[in-house]
Amino acid sequence: MENQVSHALAILEEPVQYVCLLFMASMYAIKIYQLVKKPFPPERAELKGDRTAGVIQSMANIFRPWGMESSRKNLYFYTEFMIFHIAVALTIGSTFFIPLTPQLMTPTVSAVIMVFMGLAFLIGLRRIYRRLTAPEIRIISAPDDYFAIILMTVFFAVGFVTMYLWIQGKPETGWMWVFFLMTTFFLIYVPFSKISHYVLYPFGRYNFGMVFGGRGVLNRASHDLSWDPKLRK
Amino acid sequence: MSELQEKAINTEEEPQWEKLGTQEERKWPTKTEFTPEMLVEMEKMLPSKLNRVVAASLAGCIHCGMCSEACHYSVSIPEDKTLVPAYKADRFRKWYKYRYDWMAKVFPSFVGAKPLTKELADEMYDKLWGGCTMCRRCTFNCPMGVDYGMMVRAARHIMQKVGRIPQHLQDTVDTHYNHGNNMAVPQDEFVETIEWIEEELQSEDGCENFKIPVDKKGAQYFLTLNPREPKYYPLTIQATAKVLNAAGVDFTISSRYWDLTNYAMFNGDDADAKLFATWQAEDVKRLGCEYLLAGECGHGYRALRWELPNWVGGVPFKITSVMELMAEVIQQGRIKLDKSVWAGKRFTYHDSCNIARSGGVTEPQRLIIRACVDDFVELEHNREEGFCCGGGGGALAMPEFTPRRLAAGKIKADEIRATGANVVLQSCHNCTDQLKEIIHHYKIDAVVMNLAELAAPALVL
Repeated sequence: MENQVSHALAILEEPVQYVCLLFMASMYAIKIYQLVKKPFPPERAELKGDRTAGVIQSMANIFRPWGMESSRKNLYFYTEFMIFHIAVALTIGSTFFIPLTPQLMTPTVSAVIMVFMGLAFLIGLRRIYRRLTAPEIRIISAPDDYFAIILMTVFFAVGFVTMYLWIQGKPETGWMWVFFLMTTFFLIYVPFSKISHYVLYPFGRYNFGMVFGGRGVLNRASHDLSWDPKLRK
Repeated sequence: MSELQEKAINTEEEPQWEKLGTQEERKWPTKTEFTPEMLVEMEKMLPSKLNRVVAASLAGCIHCGMCSEACHYSVSIPEDKTLVPAYKADRFRKWYKYRYDWMAKVFPSFVGAKPLTKELADEMYDKLWGGCTMCRRCTFNCPMGVDYGMMVRAARHIMQKVGRIPQHLQDTVDTHYNHGNNMAVPQDEFVETIEWIEEELQSEDGCENFKIPVDKKGAQYFLTLNPREPKYYPLTIQATAKVLNAAGVDFTISSRYWDLTNYAMFNGDDADAKLFATWQAEDVKRLGCEYLLAGECGHGYRALRWELPNWVGGVPFKITSVMELMAEVIQQGRIKLDKSVWAGKRFTYHDSCNIARSGGVTEPQRLIIRACVDDFVELEHNREEGFCCGGGGGALAMPEFTPRRLAAGKIKADEIRATGANVVLQSCHNCTDQLKEIIHHYKIDAVVMNLAELAAPALVL
């Protein structure tokens, strides 16, 4: 029985994941193609700022909580956001490390990932509560929004237990099965879900940086009086 | 003396005034409600409005709600959650998703997609005309970089094309189309007004030799005006001309396309926007001016500085604003200002969204103010982070939404009150009107002025 589980788990961990990963990549490629084939609004006005610098700043916005009032005023929310998304990255990483380079998943590394998964689980619960109770959030929420956050929260819970058992030296457990089954589901489902927002994120930030960077709204050194060094020399 | 007048004198004939605008007048057929035929037309138009920014903005919202604290509507009217930017934009987004979202093809309700029905279109009308000024404050607070301004403009254009647009807003565009300026000021009346203002200016002490040249070929600056100025606020033209004359600026005003407004920016109609921009660009070329100079007008500045070159495909002249020029002449020491004129008064400054957030001009205004006054207090939210006053996006041309517009001005009124300012400065005529209304509505003891009106009395001549 154990060998059967091991064999099946191995298939789930590798070949099935590759197929699903390929599917996900294909869906994203189509999505990106559909977006980039649309024209970018022209900008023939004499620029006041640097569009490239604007794009860089806009892209780096995620690491600049002071850059947006909405982050600045909600630093707790921002911190939650960062932990949650770091946990996402670590969890995705672990789905590769476990089957491909298990030697990297030392108890220390696994413990770090487990802690992030645990925190992300708690944050997920808070986000579900917020979506259900805050009127301004509830009114804009679709079933997809609820499903996505519930799915992620459950995934983190499963991942947390799986990591715990992994650290205990129990890699081939039912929890590991569920963890990889969920991973498989994610790979197929995410391109159709709001969770795929990370694919759109660079486009939104790029667009913002191009428009407002070029207009000199971003990257102003400070609120001093040298507002426009390019102004009629 | 204008070219037309010189010609008239030389030929001993009356000036030949032109019919400006289009030769054949138009009255855009507006509708009072959406019909099935209109919805079919809208469906046909949707793909053409989806450039990369609009498409990414429609697809990119994650419903995080961070925009809810960014919008003057949702902040000022917190009891109405349908004014949260994401909710308003979702009226358009639901339709987009129904057409383009993969999941919506199978489970539309799951992703909140809806077909375009009369009910959804009615909600779009209410929220995207009457519940958004396209100020882009939510855009600056959106982690995903969703450009609400561009998205809402696309939706407005679709509705406008089928005739579903606030009547007065479309009338304003039609007037510009038919007469060359949005208040149908005839050419002769305009020139007479400018001549009268010039006489008034020359009657001021130290201004005897000041001029307001009309149609002066080869002038360095082609000064544009908001039609409200010759119609209702001639003293602002006088003030601007006084500052420019004192600084020795070589400028002129055209007798033809002097109107810098472009309300087609608000109704989304690129064809009209391009037409108005083309008239102006051709007029600058006719007079051979080096700079197109935007007067103090928020959307007008943006329309000229940032949108006109795109609409007409590039221009051979430079474009700047009176705010930037005034700041430059102050920095260069070309005018002297006496702050004592304004002693005892406290000033604050309201940044027009189209000048600051969408235009990138925030510091020249402050340089002018600090050169003129000692007591200047910033609003809590200022520069690109300033709240819209509520008068942007053509809102003042939509009387059916006036109660909501005034209610949405509460956050701005609260911030003005908190400064204790006697004078609210601004550089935009839509802001002027809205600020005057909310100051009256919320019973604040302050007056509203533009920057030329601030600088002109302080000039040391």
